[in-house]
Amino acid sequence: MEDIFHWCREGNSIQVRLWLDETEHDNNLGDDHGFSPLHWVSKEGHVKLVETLLQRGARVNATNMGDDIPLHLAAAHGHRDVVQMLIKERSDVNAINEHGNTPLHYACFWGYDMICEDLLNAGALVGIANKDGHTPIDKAKPSLAKRLQDLVEKSGKEVKVISFKEQSWQGLKTRSRDATLSRFKGISMGDLDLHTKLSVTSSGETWRGRWQKNDVVAKILAVRQCTPRISRDFNEEFPKMRIFSHPNILPIIGACNSPPNLVTISQFMPRSSLFNLLHGATGVVVDASQAIKFALDIARGMAFLHSLERIIPTYHLNSHHVMIDDDLTARINMGDAKFSFQEKGRIYQPAWMSPEALQRKQADRNWEACDMWSFAILIWELTTREVPFAEWSPMECGMKIALEGLRVKIPPGTSSHMAKLIGICMNEDPGKRPKFDMVLPILEKMKR
Amino acid sequence: MSTLNRPKSPHTPSAIKKGEKEDSFWDKFSTLGRKRGTREVKKVQEEGKYAIDSPGSPNQYDIPPEDYALREHEQRAVIDPQSINDPVVVELQRILVDWINDELAEQRIIVQQLDEDMYDGQVLHKLWEKLTSKKLDVPEVTQSEQGQLEKLNIVLKAVNHTLGFHHKIPKWSVASVHSKNLVAILHLLVALVRHFRAPVRLPENVFVSVVIAEKNAGVLNAQKFQEQITSEYDDVGMRCEKDAFDTLIDIAPDKLAVVKKSLITFVNKHLAKLNFEITDLNTDFHDGVYLCLLMGLLGGFFVPLHEFHLTPQDTEQKVSNVAFAFDLMQDVGLPKPKARPLDIVNMDLKSTLRVLYSLFTMFRDFA
Repeated sequence: MEDIFHWCREGNSIQVRLWLDETEHDNNLGDDHGFSPLHWVSKEGHVKLVETLLQRGARVNATNMGDDIPLHLAAAHGHRDVVQMLIKERSDVNAINEHGNTPLHYACFWGYDMICEDLLNAGALVGIANKDGHTPIDKAKPSLAKRLQDLVEKSGKEVKVISFKEQSWQGLKTRSRDATLSRFKGISMGDLDLHTKLSVTSSGETWRGRWQKNDVVAKILAVRQCTPRISRDFNEEFPKMRIFSHPNILPIIGACNSPPNLVTISQFMPRSSLFNLLHGATGVVVDASQAIKFALDIARGMAFLHSLERIIPTYHLNSHHVMIDDDLTARINMGDAKFSFQEKGRIYQPAWMSPEALQRKQADRNWEACDMWSFAILIWELTTREVPFAEWSPMECGMKIALEGLRVKIPPGTSSHMAKLIGICMNEDPGKRPKFDMVLPILEKMKR
Repeated sequence: MSTLNRPKSPHTPSAIKKGEKEDSFWDKFSTLGRKRGTREVKKVQEEGKYAIDSPGSPNQYDIPPEDYALREHEQRAVIDPQSINDPVVVELQRILVDWINDELAEQRIIVQQLDEDMYDGQVLHKLWEKLTSKKLDVPEVTQSEQGQLEKLNIVLKAVNHTLGFHHKIPKWSVASVHSKNLVAILHLLVALVRHFRAPVRLPENVFVSVVIAEKNAGVLNAQKFQEQITSEYDDVGMRCEKDAFDTLIDIAPDKLAVVKKSLITFVNKHLAKLNFEITDLNTDFHDGVYLCLLMGLLGGFFVPLHEFHLTPQDTEQKVSNVAFAFDLMQDVGLPKPKARPLDIVNMDLKSTLRVLYSLFTMFRDFA
């Protein structure tokens, strides 16, 4: 069969790259047995492809139907370079599959001494017992078992047997995604089971529901009158928001175009938006390092968005339009991008927008520079945990930013690095603002 | 009556007719007559053109009022030639001509002068059909004066009916229109403009001086007086389905001031946030800028400054501003305003009041 899983197995790097370049492709999708592309390349030992996939945001701890993570497969097949690469990407060395086996079980069983040592050095425990009560040491040949015992003792730890506990019911694992999610773009209204209305905003009604056994959010767009022209524009525009290929972008999965209803469907994010996380009562503490992590996620997502051809639905960067995944990954929500026919002449969150975006037509300004300004306001928000210009109504706030030079103030006590970065990103001259890929290394440095 | 004595085809001095014959005769004989002949040919051409262009033209135009053959106690009103050149009157005529031409552009009808083009009922017929989207069963073209009068009679009846003259007597009649009485034609067109809320703004308080000639005991008396053609805009508004506003304005005009005041207070309460203040409801909203800003303030959004003209230069920009504000109103769930953008630009007070009032009813509790 000619598909991505096949190409991953045979190590066809050209085909895999081509496939990955298509934004509609989700590199975390799984095949019939839940094997993601990363599972396959790890199993087959295609180091280059493992590297590529990891760079493109493949999940290192995704599980297949048997609860194996890619590290299990790499360890079992003796690909030491792959194992090292996965460990470097913080793969869980003590992940347990459905048999209760860790990667170390397999490395020991197949006698890959060097891999066993690598795993051990990365913190793998030799005492984890599987369903049958066997530890990795039990699986190893006597000579290897002896060496591992010595290694553990040398590091000053003792071998403790941890018995198997059934944990799969806790649902802690991140499975590879259901491949069907990105397969259909046209969805029929009848297949959606919408059960809870989440919110009503100027752009439409948001419902929570289920579709093909997935938790989804459906947004019924508010259009005054759904003309055939609008319906046609919708059809042309929504596929551009199906960006599955980047971990920091939350795509629209599909859409129902059944006038008078225009509905976009995306994955349900229980943690809701960044705005909510920062200013709502969610109990999540966003400390300085988490703030930088969010900023990095957002910058990566935006850099990717800017690397694509300009898409027609307009995405305005602000904390309302960034969603937070279970694992606290920030994701640019394409579901919040505005269709060409949506909210014409109305800007509901001008606080994050640059003065030129409030005054000039889209064609007469640099959208990347405008986004960079919004990013500056966003990192200001992450740093201060305050809502920008909360005291003004949108109309007042917009007029003041556009015509009266209203700007965010950096409070005393802000780290000088952060203050400097905010200043650079919101340079009054759009041409002097950096690009997102230039901001990334700065944030990486601040993370350390 | 002078009207009956009028020739049915254009006047052409008989002397020329004679000359024409002579010339053609000379042409045949010698080159001597050639030069003179070409001159005469030109004359004939002009004459022919005149004959074609103005069929059945009643030539009352040139007759000064003193020459009227008036009967005892008969009156005749004629516009004072000086007042026709009054810039306001010229402006009024220009606006009316432009309006008719705009309305009838699809029919390829071009009006140049009101009196010359309106008297035969032809243009009026088309105009009425266009404005009411009805059909009137009259002959398309008539050449004879009798036919013209009959047609004009039918058309004016229909027009008067539309304008609601059932008991009141209009300021125009078949005879006055057909005799190209500019005062009557102006009254008629102004009434049409007002009734159909034509998208034009007429100059207010236009007066023309009219000379009334009356024959008393064989002596011709001429009296001059001022005839009002247009009044102020306040007292006329759009005539659509009657609503609370019509009743208010018709029945309790004294309450109007109160309503205006509370609307100004409401509007200023919000505009003050942007350091704007209005003083006059009639004029301050006509360019649409405040409407756009007000929509943003009330609707809880920012209106990007490139979407409208912050300092509109001409009517077109003002109209697009108002139209944009109307769009925003509908976007936030208000019903489509009855008024048209042009009404607001033309400072139609009732339309402005209506728009503001609908905003007021929706957002009065909005802080």
